[in-house]
Amino acid sequence: MRISKSVNMSETVYGESVARPRAIAAVNEVVASRLILVIAMVTGTFLRIWQIDAMGFNTDEAVYAGQAAAIAHVPGLSDIFPVFRAHPLLFQSLLSLIYRIHFSDLLGRLLAVVIGLSTVLVTYKLGKTLYGRLPGALAATFLALMPYHVIVSRQVLLDGLMTFFATLTFYTLAQFGKTHRPAWLFAAGACLGMTFLSKETSIIMIGCVFVFLALAPEVRTRIRDLIMAVVIMGVTIAPFPISLMLAGSSSTGSNYLVWQLFRRPNHEWSFYLTILPPAIGILVIIVAIVGIYFLRHEHSWREKLLLAWIFVPFAFFEIWPVKGYQYLLPIAPAVALLAGRALGRWILNAKRTRFTSPIRTFFNQPGLYWLLTVAVVISLGFTSWKQIQPRTSTEFLAGTGGVAGGREAGLWIEENVPIKAHFMTIGPSMANIIEFYGVHLAYGLAVSPNPLHRNPSYDPILNPDLQIRNSELQYLVWDSFSAARSPFFADKLMGYVNKYNGRVVHTETITVKDMLGNTVVKPVIIIYEVYP
Amino acid sequence: MMRRVLFAISLAVIIAGNLSFTAEAASPSQEHQPSTPIEHLVVVMQENHTFDNYFGTYPGVDGIPAGTKMPVDPNNPALGDVVPWHIGNATITDISHSASTFRDQYDNGKMDGFISALNSRNQDGKLAMGYYDGQDIPYYWNLADNYVLFDQFFSSARDGSFANHMYWVAGVSPEAPKGGKLSDVLADIPTIFDRLQAAGVSWKFYVQNYDPTITYRDVGSRGNRESQVIWVPLLNFDRFIDDPTLSSHIVDLRQYYIDLHNNALPSVAYIVPSGASEHPPSSIASGQRFVKAIIQELMRSSAWDSSAFILAYDDWGGWYDHVTPIQVDQHGYGLHVPVILVSPYAKSGYIDHSTLDFTSILKFIEQNWNIAPLAERDTNANNFLSAFDFNQTPHLPIFLPSTRASVAPVKKDPSRVIYIGYGSTLSLAIMFIGVANYRSHRAKVRELRKLLNE
Repeated sequence: MRISKSVNMSETVYGESVARPRAIAAVNEVVASRLILVIAMVTGTFLRIWQIDAMGFNTDEAVYAGQAAAIAHVPGLSDIFPVFRAHPLLFQSLLSLIYRIHFSDLLGRLLAVVIGLSTVLVTYKLGKTLYGRLPGALAATFLALMPYHVIVSRQVLLDGLMTFFATLTFYTLAQFGKTHRPAWLFAAGACLGMTFLSKETSIIMIGCVFVFLALAPEVRTRIRDLIMAVVIMGVTIAPFPISLMLAGSSSTGSNYLVWQLFRRPNHEWSFYLTILPPAIGILVIIVAIVGIYFLRHEHSWREKLLLAWIFVPFAFFEIWPVKGYQYLLPIAPAVALLAGRALGRWILNAKRTRFTSPIRTFFNQPGLYWLLTVAVVISLGFTSWKQIQPRTSTEFLAGTGGVAGGREAGLWIEENVPIKAHFMTIGPSMANIIEFYGVHLAYGLAVSPNPLHRNPSYDPILNPDLQIRNSELQYLVWDSFSAARSPFFADKLMGYVNKYNGRVVHTETITVKDMLGNTVVKPVIIIYEVYP
Repeated sequence: MMRRVLFAISLAVIIAGNLSFTAEAASPSQEHQPSTPIEHLVVVMQENHTFDNYFGTYPGVDGIPAGTKMPVDPNNPALGDVVPWHIGNATITDISHSASTFRDQYDNGKMDGFISALNSRNQDGKLAMGYYDGQDIPYYWNLADNYVLFDQFFSSARDGSFANHMYWVAGVSPEAPKGGKLSDVLADIPTIFDRLQAAGVSWKFYVQNYDPTITYRDVGSRGNRESQVIWVPLLNFDRFIDDPTLSSHIVDLRQYYIDLHNNALPSVAYIVPSGASEHPPSSIASGQRFVKAIIQELMRSSAWDSSAFILAYDDWGGWYDHVTPIQVDQHGYGLHVPVILVSPYAKSGYIDHSTLDFTSILKFIEQNWNIAPLAERDTNANNFLSAFDFNQTPHLPIFLPSTRASVAPVKKDPSRVIYIGYGSTLSLAIMFIGVANYRSHRAKVRELRKLLNE
């Protein structure tokens, strides 16, 4: 049954009709695709779990895991982390189910890995739906090995789940495009709602869907079906505002949204253009773009779907200048699909067309495209492998991994610091980590007392000097990550250390290479005890 | 030649004395090893509050009885009564608290002169009936919630600060003979620190903003700073002023923090405030901060595991208290005062009803370090061992907040709403995909059947 379907598809595309060789080719494609998918899943799993626990949580991971712990009533943490902080709680509530059985930071990351690998599988299904097994398997492989997706899906972040549901949304849309069955459009509405419940920034995916439907008239959509899909999406989204309201925290969500919309940019406009291409894979991007050009004669609603998926979020985050490394992760499967589509097509097309030109003949060798595929895979795998190695620098990009020494410092705090002692850190990032691992309240000095200039999730220290004198802040924490980002507040914190008899009680260090290549031990976190 | 010999002998004596002191302080003999797990006793003596003034409304204590009324003038009922009132942010003043005021307020045991005694001294008598509660002294109430609050702890003397501080260090409160000097009398009176010194048990007297030049010899010329001489009674003893082996133990409070950091907290540490004494009308909030800092530093030091901290108030300060003090001798007891014990071995949230006074602190020291009693009072005093449970799992150090938990709004538990809301929509999404998939599959089967039929 499956073979005959592949044959039919090949006939529509390639025209040539030789039944036996085509049947063999189809069998080969099935075998090759499955083999590729298995290898991709195994390699992708390896890249996602290799030394996954070598470093503790970063600030975002600490917040999400802390929320999950609060939902699960993990002792200590449920008093420190408010359940409602900023984002919807789908990922956190899933994680909380695990925390109810066993609490550990590793389990949170493993959940992210499972979600990441599930996204690879859905990408395969989507690729298969759009272009057939081989392009689907190649796209899945690219995503499985892609540094961007590998790095983010090793962390307790919401973006992995958001990407999973975004991919599922486009899978259902692809099915709708293919079958024209409204049930798939309704499923797309539900999946889009789940994407929102993963992270509210994905609301822009609605734009992708409408741009796609507007640019693809061949995908006929009845207005009433569209309205129904929107209603389903609204119903799916409803738990977010309803749970906020029922818990009496509705102002938390709206304050955060307002702050997000009007906060000052935290990156340059060139951020995504410079940071993302190496993370997605330069070769993947090139193959995708070249494929769009050279396969332009095959363009259909399929490419419109993928391009709308990529360009709407990209344009939105470029115009809306609040950028996080992981914000554009949902477009990664689309890029992988375009690259998979191009290479899959070239491999399958080669030798089926005869050319007289030697150049054309050269480019008509399947081996050439297999070689190119291997090159793309190796480049992705190698970059990912480098990225997942333990960090040897005291500075890093937020969202790209754990914080060196953070977990160890937190655990030291939990073990050695009196219960209910309060900490002051340079910024809120380290405060979150200390709260999660140290189970002590911590406040960032850099959090502005002006509500217009701070994330409403954070409590500012209105008068640090007074609070130290009142013995309300007893420990100050310097860390290299925050000090590099906020040298002003790092100096300010050290001023308090010096003024209030600061005494080093704990230091976390890492071994790094200096500019001359010598191995040196550098402090990354220093905990001071102060008293009035 | 003779001078040189004398100098050499003097030098040798001083060095030997110092060496002897150092050796003794560093390692008390086996005979004076602590008999309980308490190896460090820290006592802070604050100023001028009765038990009812601070804890009269604390649940479960012998506090202000319901229906309490104090006559404005016990001899003239027509002037009416004053009921206890919450001070909060009301302005107060330094209420008279001399021995004669005590007599008038005590009124031969009738305890009905608290208002009239002040009125007769041109003060607003109703001030005496004011009290604070947990919103005013949240940190102290939190301490009481977690450790031990004594509700039958009396000030030792029916007098002001000096007499009570004397009982605290010596178990007696001698007066200067007519025409004589108090220091001459004190020369023959042993203090607990003499005993500790002799036993080789380490001790220090920490003084906030300590000025070693202010002693009884300078009284009359140093203004408000002279309270140091009253609150550090050792500064009335010539030997504690002139003998370096003793005077070196009276140090500024900064040394307390240094000693804690250097793991050098002495076995017995007495602490007195300066500006943060809570002596009306000074800020009780600053007193709480002062005490909080001392406790927190103790808690994060290595000494915590084997320590006991006592917060006490030296006299009643003119405030009302409902408990008629027991007459143990011509000087006392005075009115009952708030005292809190904080220790890893202190019972949790325990209200101790043992009858105690400041000489009970001496009693504890004497029994714990096997030291001979000083006077009749401390010999007969009760110990407060009933406040400890040495078999319990020691309390971990905890930095209690300066707010009362009871005022915090009760949080709703949102987890059920979250699980129901997010769970049901996840199920909804799965259902929609399942239905779409099923319909597509069914359509394919139909098409296939149609093809086969054709």
